[in-house]
Amino acid sequence: MSALGQAFELVFQWQVIGTVFVAAMFGLMVGAIPGLTATMATALLVPLTFFMDPVPAVGAIVTCAAMAIFAGDIPGTLLRIPGTPASAAYTDEAYAMTRKGQAEIALGANLLFSAMGGLFGTFVLIFAAPTLAEVALKFSSFEYFWMALLGLTCAVFIGASSPLRAFVSLFIGLFVSTIGLNNPAGVPRFTFGSTDLLAGIDFIPAMIGLFAVSEVLRSVAAGVPAIGRVQAATGHIFSHWGNLIRTYWRQQIRGNIIGTSIGALPGAGADIAAWVAYALSRKFSKTPEKFGTGHVEGIVESTSANNAAVSSAWIPALVFGIPGDTITAIVIGVLYVKGLNPGPTLFLFNPQAIYAVFIIFILANLVMIPFGWLAIKAAKRLLLVPRKLLMPIILAFCIVGAFASNNATYGIVVMLVFGVLGFIMEENRIPIAPCILGIVIGPMLEDTFVTSMIKADGSFLAFFERPIAAGLGIATILIWLSPLIGRAVRKSGAPGEAGQG
Amino acid sequence: MRLGDTMLGGLLLILSAALAGFSQTFPAIPGQTYGAATFPIAVAIGLAGCGVLLMIGGIRAGHRHLEAAEWMLDRRAVVSVALTVLAMIGYILLAPRLGFIPVMAGMLLGLFLLLQVHWLMAIVAAAATTMVIHGLFAGFLLVPLPLGIFPRVSW
Repeated sequence: MSALGQAFELVFQWQVIGTVFVAAMFGLMVGAIPGLTATMATALLVPLTFFMDPVPAVGAIVTCAAMAIFAGDIPGTLLRIPGTPASAAYTDEAYAMTRKGQAEIALGANLLFSAMGGLFGTFVLIFAAPTLAEVALKFSSFEYFWMALLGLTCAVFIGASSPLRAFVSLFIGLFVSTIGLNNPAGVPRFTFGSTDLLAGIDFIPAMIGLFAVSEVLRSVAAGVPAIGRVQAATGHIFSHWGNLIRTYWRQQIRGNIIGTSIGALPGAGADIAAWVAYALSRKFSKTPEKFGTGHVEGIVESTSANNAAVSSAWIPALVFGIPGDTITAIVIGVLYVKGLNPGPTLFLFNPQAIYAVFIIFILANLVMIPFGWLAIKAAKRLLLVPRKLLMPIILAFCIVGAFASNNATYGIVVMLVFGVLGFIMEENRIPIAPCILGIVIGPMLEDTFVTSMIKADGSFLAFFERPIAAGLGIATILIWLSPLIGRAVRKSGAPGEAGQG
Repeated sequence: MRLGDTMLGGLLLILSAALAGFSQTFPAIPGQTYGAATFPIAVAIGLAGCGVLLMIGGIRAGHRHLEAAEWMLDRRAVVSVALTVLAMIGYILLAPRLGFIPVMAGMLLGLFLLLQVHWLMAIVAAAATTMVIHGLFAGFLLVPLPLGIFPRVSW
């Protein structure tokens, strides 16, 4: 049987379909609750995936992430509180529409264009990933080193408001990745005699701590504020779809392309895609004055972009084993646990698993429409669940999830330490995402660097001797120099401007 | 507690010095220049660079070295955060001895009451959440949640 036929067989089983549906509901619920992000939903789901076969495990994560990113639009539209950071770019716009009595248009646009964006990203993933994997098969440690460094560079320079603080976060993550026995020399590092630490810091409890426990602590510190009253009832969300597609098909395509391109960059994800798409929508709009007053144009473009990014972020994750965003950082951990080592060889040795993931992507974006409609209908009730009940329950799930990662209390200790670390980091405006990427990419960065240096007999120039490595290296260095180049360009422009003035 | 940029930078410098110093104790790969210490030292240099830049920025801006976050001015919030962390530590210490069900139920009840959930609702929610989680993880997924002194619940 062909790999594609096997993939269909793998997916269309009641356990897989059932898992996808349950994960969809979970993702919608978590995404719709303000403060709980898509990454947190995925982190909470991971301990459950340990007990599943590879395809339903990955399918659950794919569906959960896609649903959560869409569901983040619901409280953003109804309450002006984005459910996930990826919805923040157009929350004001969507809420302004709600105040004008157009909540159903905004939510309808969110649902329709999220699904279409997700499908577009999926098709790019389906066509680009195998081709890239063929290229990646020719990669040596030099190319992988630059790819890893490019991923971290993008996370710092593109994904963060303060690159300096993002660097601090990244170096904390890279330090964490050095703990344990897993290093080129095979010696224990920073274990201080602990046998638990010899295996390194377990990524799953660390992530549950950084994303979920820190959020619980932040919420408790803020007195677990109530969400407030839901502003409006929603009407018929489907009735405007034909008109929206006819009017905004250009914005939708542009949003899809922007989202897919940004998502495919290692280190940059759906949040950035939404902001960039919204800004470009305004820039190219024929009616930019309408933006901010409750205008659906920017929403179409950015909601398409964030869901397209969710799908395309899997390109670097599957092809190179380098996460496109925090969700795929988690996915890489799950893939390793399931024996599906991400990288180009996955396409050679396990094509049916890859095709199964692609089919689930399509399925997830298709079921988004009926499930999303139900979520919008249930939003009023969902948003009224008291957060003071919710936060301790989330903490309980975090504790059991961290324990389940290796059936040991050590997991809960790691979770607690990273929860407090994440809380302190955010208190001091240090972003968490680069830290996670540092933990995931760190071992690859170290391994490829040391291997390359040994191969090149210590000559750093060897990193530029192969054409693809040289290209990636130059791109990385240009991103590093971009603040200096920008400053130089501004300086050279300044006297002229002064002269004119 | 928010650290000013100067203080944060200083702290990073101390951390990076400790990291670099400790890394010197790692044995080298025989015959190779690059080994176990290479990467941690590179990380230490990176952290030190960030520390220096933060210190320079902090001194130039003249920010305060230490500033209490808004929530820290509210005693109730401070107590709530501290008790939430203590609840997790309590779970880590007590669950292996007493068992998952009593410790988790107690922890949840304490947290609900701390967050001012009505006591009746708190008792019901703590018991229901504990049993649902136990059923899901121990019963369905066969996670060996600690039994302690509590009798085994078979699902």
